[in-house]
Amino acid sequence: METMTETATARPLPGQFDVVVIDDEETFTEGCRQTLEMGGFRAAVAKNGPQGLSLVRSAHPGVVLVDLKMPGMSGLEVLGQLSASAPCTVPIMVTGHGTMDSAVESMKVGAFDFLTKPFEPERLLESVRRGMSLNVLRKEREGVTEPVAVLAPAPDKNDLLLRGLEVLGEAYSLGLDNRQLFDELAYLEAEAKYHAQSLGQIKKKERAILDIRDDLRKVDTILEKYDFEKGALIQVLLDVQEKFNWLPRHILHWISARLNVTVKEIYTIAAFYETFSLKPRGRHCVQVCTGTACHVRGAAEMLTRVSATLGLQPGETDAEQQFSLTTVHCLGCCALAPVIQVDKQYYHSPSRNKLEKIIKSLDKEVQPVCLS
Amino acid sequence: MSKLMISADLEALRKKVLSQREAKSKWVTICTGTGCCAYGAEALADGFEKEIDKRGLCKTVGIRRTGCHGFCERGPLVVIESKGNICYVGAQLKDVPLIVEKSVVGSETVERLLYLDEETGKRVSRVEDIPFYNHQTRILLKNNALIDASNILDYIAVGGYSALAKALTGMSPVDVLNEVKEANLRGRGGAGFPAGVKWESARKAVETPKYVIVNADEGDPGAYMDRSLLEGNPHSVLEGLILGGYAIGASQGFIYVRQEYPMAHKHAQTAIDQAREYGLLGANIFGSTFSFDVKIHRGAGAFVSGESTALISAIEGHVGEPRPKYIHTTEKGLWGKPTCLNNVETWANVPFIINRGAKWFRTMGTEESKGTKIFSLVGKVNNTGLVEVPMGMSLRDIIFKIGGGLPKGKKFKAVQTGGPSGGVLPESMLDTPVGFDELTKVGSMMGSGGMIVMDQDTCMVDTARYYINFLAHESCGKCIPCREGLRQMLNILDRITAGAGKESDLDLLEELSEFMEMASLCALGQTAPNPVRSTIRYFREEFEAHIKEKRCPAGVCTALIEYEIDPVKCTACGACAKACAVGAIQKVDAKTYTVVQEKCIKCGACYSTCPDKWGAVVKVPALPATQSPAGPGALFEAKA
Repeated sequence: METMTETATARPLPGQFDVVVIDDEETFTEGCRQTLEMGGFRAAVAKNGPQGLSLVRSAHPGVVLVDLKMPGMSGLEVLGQLSASAPCTVPIMVTGHGTMDSAVESMKVGAFDFLTKPFEPERLLESVRRGMSLNVLRKEREGVTEPVAVLAPAPDKNDLLLRGLEVLGEAYSLGLDNRQLFDELAYLEAEAKYHAQSLGQIKKKERAILDIRDDLRKVDTILEKYDFEKGALIQVLLDVQEKFNWLPRHILHWISARLNVTVKEIYTIAAFYETFSLKPRGRHCVQVCTGTACHVRGAAEMLTRVSATLGLQPGETDAEQQFSLTTVHCLGCCALAPVIQVDKQYYHSPSRNKLEKIIKSLDKEVQPVCLS
Repeated sequence: MSKLMISADLEALRKKVLSQREAKSKWVTICTGTGCCAYGAEALADGFEKEIDKRGLCKTVGIRRTGCHGFCERGPLVVIESKGNICYVGAQLKDVPLIVEKSVVGSETVERLLYLDEETGKRVSRVEDIPFYNHQTRILLKNNALIDASNILDYIAVGGYSALAKALTGMSPVDVLNEVKEANLRGRGGAGFPAGVKWESARKAVETPKYVIVNADEGDPGAYMDRSLLEGNPHSVLEGLILGGYAIGASQGFIYVRQEYPMAHKHAQTAIDQAREYGLLGANIFGSTFSFDVKIHRGAGAFVSGESTALISAIEGHVGEPRPKYIHTTEKGLWGKPTCLNNVETWANVPFIINRGAKWFRTMGTEESKGTKIFSLVGKVNNTGLVEVPMGMSLRDIIFKIGGGLPKGKKFKAVQTGGPSGGVLPESMLDTPVGFDELTKVGSMMGSGGMIVMDQDTCMVDTARYYINFLAHESCGKCIPCREGLRQMLNILDRITAGAGKESDLDLLEELSEFMEMASLCALGQTAPNPVRSTIRYFREEFEAHIKEKRCPAGVCTALIEYEIDPVKCTACGACAKACAVGAIQKVDAKTYTVVQEKCIKCGACYSTCPDKWGAVVKVPALPATQSPAGPGALFEAKA
């Protein structure tokens, strides 16, 4: 309830939310919001049509989830008005009373997808992911630029990453509906976005290419250390992880070429080991030990506390890439149980106050490791 | 520094180092193991350096940052060595000037920083008099407290590398092997396979080159003795490895360290570099024909990589997955060549056996398990830390004599040994002597030496679920019995802890256990049912309480409990409300607070915050109606 009134009164900025959920049933909107946030989307909720529309008008979300049957303004009416006020936003219709007729009717007024309650969270995320991609294409076509896009370097056909986006576009226009392909493409898109964001302050597009080149040179120094030996692959990846804080895609492709190992093999290793991250990690890493000694001394409680203080679920990184929260099986400090590690420092079960102090004490202005 | 060409050089160097050190009449040693560092030991050591410098005592007083002393519970630990020693526990930076004034300049003690023996009520100053230490037999761990791990001269000063000198100048490789075999040194990594037998088959294998590996991928949650040895005394492990290489005829060794132990990696690397500098690694060690070198490989966070074949696969640069062992790794291991792999602690035992002989080693321990074993005594016990005891000591002695019993007068419930492959033992089994076969007999195992004590507030079903959850996550997924078996087990245990267990579940768990044990590819899957089996075997009634009465007797399983505030006991101090991260505790009136159940995430922060003297936050059984063991598919309900 609180989030709803907040978003409705304080006018959100364009691009602040990816998804707006409109339904009169609060348990449903809340469930959706949680699922979407777990899937990495920023979501806002509204409890009726008019409120939802005003939210959509100011926030310009990528996707809007609308319930078909609501008191007052129905889902179909919302969709009718939506195309006028936010043409790029992709609507997805949701209903507890799915019939063929209602589905057809929804599609006629421009719904991109039609979900029947109850549905699996994964089904929702997949649909939203596809909707978001369509939204990107629509915006490109309409020439709409968002704050992020304004800062990002202009599209260049030679740019490695943007070529990825092109492939993405092609896949959608072909109507490919393979889940694995989608995940892969969504990943590519996220990475391109991340680069665009990181390079936001840089005006010249050439700089992006130079940065990538610098990255690859750094990787070459690492590879040299191991004499370009195939067997050192895991050690190389560990060094890359340490230097860049994650395993960027272009680097993995580079390693594949340099060591003459398949990309598949690299991904198998990167996915197998806990240490490696295929997503950018925060500049500061908060690790909560869930070893047995910590478990019996209340690690679960500590994890909830840390999680609530940081506002992150385990495995998540905040939007500014400031913090990552991870769990680890054993830090080997069992005598201090329960224990957390923040960057290189170990702490014995910090209270909420202590945690906040620790977090504040970390330098917020540190540049991302990836771009140093 | 010139290389040591013959064994006499080592002895000469040792004497030189010792005589140089005689100039200093006192030493301040500060434990900088990971545990003490978390308590601020590094800053404390810096403080001592500054203070000693300020007083101009540099010439007569030495400072040494040592490895883990073991008594991590009371860190940071400071020992003042002169004629006797004074051990300070829990010293803080502000205490430094006082300690220097009293104990370094003078010869007095600072009473309040000495260990307080709860039983006698007296303060104890000598290390040997602290009960935690005086029931132990510290052989492997002893030098941890005496040497600076990053200085090879410290290790040489306590007699380091003398076993290597002895072997290379006076013993044939077969002599070394026979000594280890006769000592009946059994692998400290878990299975307890005799190291000598392993070495022999690697020695007899025809193919060359051969390899020796230190397994420092200590993945068992709740165990950290390997970390402590490699961080605190890396040269002892290295010396053991070189001896092993000599015995089986290998010229290349590897140390596989898990990535979570950055300090162990750093110290091992420093040790290797220094050993090379002194000619203890490289070509023609001590002028013999034996050449040997060592490389470090870092693991990347996978429990299964501690399994021998998986570890070998990881060193080769592949995914660390196990393979079937139709042919032993001692014949076809790393790159298809004979490979001998042992745990950190096993290797660290070797120099002692060579120096003091197999006979001496056999004087300690039980019939089948010889020597000492390091345990990481953790969990709900007063003196947590690393303890080294002769094999055959009873669990009761370790937990109550060394560990000092359980905190807050809580009742002992169980002890878990052997990590995720081990089992949980109840009070009736406390007199079991620790030994490889003895522990296996009662349904647990030695494992790498984790010993987690649990009190009345620990739920056994939750403990079983914890281990299965861990293993399900760590199963590499290569063989189906392990991957699917664990997943099903986790499902069942999830159901039971959520209050939706069925009576048939226990039989189903038994059946699954049997199947996994028979059909899994590697030890991870074969031993994975142990935590479930042993908890059902000894704590069946607790499972039944969860299933039949939907009740968690220990008050742990969150679906089965609720937190409430007793209005009579509550003093309205508001501490719980401050601790609550979700604002679920609200003030009703000036004298009472209440828990809003809809908001409560059952983290228990209020429960642990409420001072013991009030004890106003209580756990009560949750009403069955409020349970919703929702699977992921049931997240969205259709509208009514």
